[in-house]
Amino acid sequence: MNPATSSANILLIDDDRELGKMLSDFLGADRLNITVRNTGESGLEEFSSRKFDLLILDIMLPGMSGLDVLKKIRQTSSVPVIMLTARGDDIDRIIGLEFGADDYLPKPFNPRELQARIKAILRRSQPSRNGSQILSLGNITLDTRTHRATVNESDLQLTGTEFELLKCLLETPGEVVNKEHLSERALGRRLLPYDRSVDTHISNLRGKLERAGNKDETIQNQRGVGYLLIPGR
Amino acid sequence: MRSLFLRFFVAFWLIIGIIIGAAATGGFWYAEQVREAIEDFDVSESLLAANAALQSGGRQRLTKWLREFPATRGITLYIIDEQGNDLLDRTISKGVARAFRRHRDALRARDPGRVDPHVVRRPRQLPHIVAANGDIYTFFVSTSRIPEAIWGATDVRLLLFIFALLVSGIVSYALATAIARPVRKLRDATVALADGNLQSRVADSIGKRRDEFGLLAHDFDTMAAKLQRAAEQQLELSRNISHELRSPLARMRVAVELARTKAGELPEFQRLDVEAERLDALIGQILSYTKLDSDPNRGPAIVDLADVVSEVAENVNFECKADGANGVTVVAELVSGIRINGYHEVLRSAVENIARNAVRHSPPDSAVRITLARINAGASIEVTDDGPGVSPDDLPRLFDPFFRTQRSAEADSNGGTGLGLAIARRAVELHNGQIVARNRESGGLSILITLPGRKDSAAT
Repeated sequence: MNPATSSANILLIDDDRELGKMLSDFLGADRLNITVRNTGESGLEEFSSRKFDLLILDIMLPGMSGLDVLKKIRQTSSVPVIMLTARGDDIDRIIGLEFGADDYLPKPFNPRELQARIKAILRRSQPSRNGSQILSLGNITLDTRTHRATVNESDLQLTGTEFELLKCLLETPGEVVNKEHLSERALGRRLLPYDRSVDTHISNLRGKLERAGNKDETIQNQRGVGYLLIPGR
Repeated sequence: MRSLFLRFFVAFWLIIGIIIGAAATGGFWYAEQVREAIEDFDVSESLLAANAALQSGGRQRLTKWLREFPATRGITLYIIDEQGNDLLDRTISKGVARAFRRHRDALRARDPGRVDPHVVRRPRQLPHIVAANGDIYTFFVSTSRIPEAIWGATDVRLLLFIFALLVSGIVSYALATAIARPVRKLRDATVALADGNLQSRVADSIGKRRDEFGLLAHDFDTMAAKLQRAAEQQLELSRNISHELRSPLARMRVAVELARTKAGELPEFQRLDVEAERLDALIGQILSYTKLDSDPNRGPAIVDLADVVSEVAENVNFECKADGANGVTVVAELVSGIRINGYHEVLRSAVENIARNAVRHSPPDSAVRITLARINAGASIEVTDDGPGVSPDDLPRLFDPFFRTQRSAEADSNGGTGLGLAIARRAVELHNGQIVARNRESGGLSILITLPGRKDSAAT
């Protein structure tokens, strides 16, 4: 077993009790420690009671919706979040990402796909083993060891996915990084048809950089290819 | 003003009242002027002067005197001889002539030899003078010429006319605006509603009015809100159905996976996976078919068709590669700058379903072509494949939901749901377009979508 994924604590918030039980059986066989909660409120309570490595959140919850839970959690934590959405409701998916989810999976999903995505995200959120590395461009600075991003010396709150995307772009400023590569690096998975995840994450990242007062460097879209970070003059 | 009824009533009342009032006042004023003119005129004085002229110089002198008589305040003086002719040969109105004849008869009746016993009522004596030779000259003070004098002098008639035009014009304009403006706003809102903007409301613009239009505006808003709620409920229902149908499916897939870990891989598990995926795709297609035109949140927008087609080509190509679909490629032939009013997602799903259908029936290593072209103000999108085509009998029914041709039965294992082309047709109809399928002469099927251009661009 990959030591990076051993005994990871995962919180699953889904109102489907039977599905939750079966999923914890299935994923538990892979040394993933699943805690299941059936409402948004009890899920939030559980989340604040101890440390989780990953959150799996159904968007359709009775009472407090999955999106509301996500918004609440993002106020205090940048824990990786995978949203479970209904297939075909494009708007819900994108909104999930816009509010800071790292990835989404439409229901009903292939459980092995969920397993693969969990592992990809857990692997990515491990601290880099190559020692500390500082990447910087203009007034943006990334510390890949501590996962800390700053703009003009002040902290920038990024989700794991946004951090990885910014890191990819910072490694080769002024060069186009294609979307397939960005998806594999930041989400740990292949780009899929109709996959707007990278675009949505990039647009969130862009917004955060601008709000943090970064006016010089801009992330540009090269249509049909990918993205590039243009250094300021 | 409280009600439209009252507004109409008061407006017409006002117009009619003001004009009649003005005309009556003018008339009274005029009559008063005439009366005063006549009263002021001292007949006896002119009689004495006329008599003096007549006695000293006879008829000729009298005529001269009359000609020189000053026309004071519009009074016209007639002097009529026994033959009934005016001394100045002016035409005499019928009324004057009649009064003269009566007067003459009365004078003759005084002659005792010519008494008419039937004449009981003696007419009022008109002023007259008698010449030396016994000729009688009768005086008439006429008012018949006064109107012209007064009218002519003060332009009263023109003034009154302009006044009437002005008053009725102002009131009618106010009335017409009061009616036309809210009607136009209501109409704009109705058009917007019909175009799918279910948030269209009029309470802000005309709802504050306290007349019938205000009531109508509130009724309109109530109706629009109900429509919006119905559309939202339908969407909500679709989502719930989707959730309820997919939850067991999701559990089933996890159960299959758990069984797999216990029993090892079996061909039946793969079958279960395929069927679960197909069921899921079918649920998705049914939902998109039913909610195609019921998205309450978005009205039509300007859609660049080149974007739609290139997006579909990119996505379906991606699917081909991912599925390892024996080397079929999608080729897009684009013309840039064709924009129509519509729904990007709906059009995309139409073209996408047709393209996927074409890919499913394509022989290995062939190409599916999507050709965008401009037709007049609108556009055409043609999707062609090199597959076996469709029996001519089946062509008209190709777009019916769940219609199965021989070729789709054969291609079933590729995951067709039987709804793709039905969705395409509804999507195209939503855009007032047409969709036609035909077999190409060189083999294969062609599906042609024609879409009308933007209304506003046709108008300009």
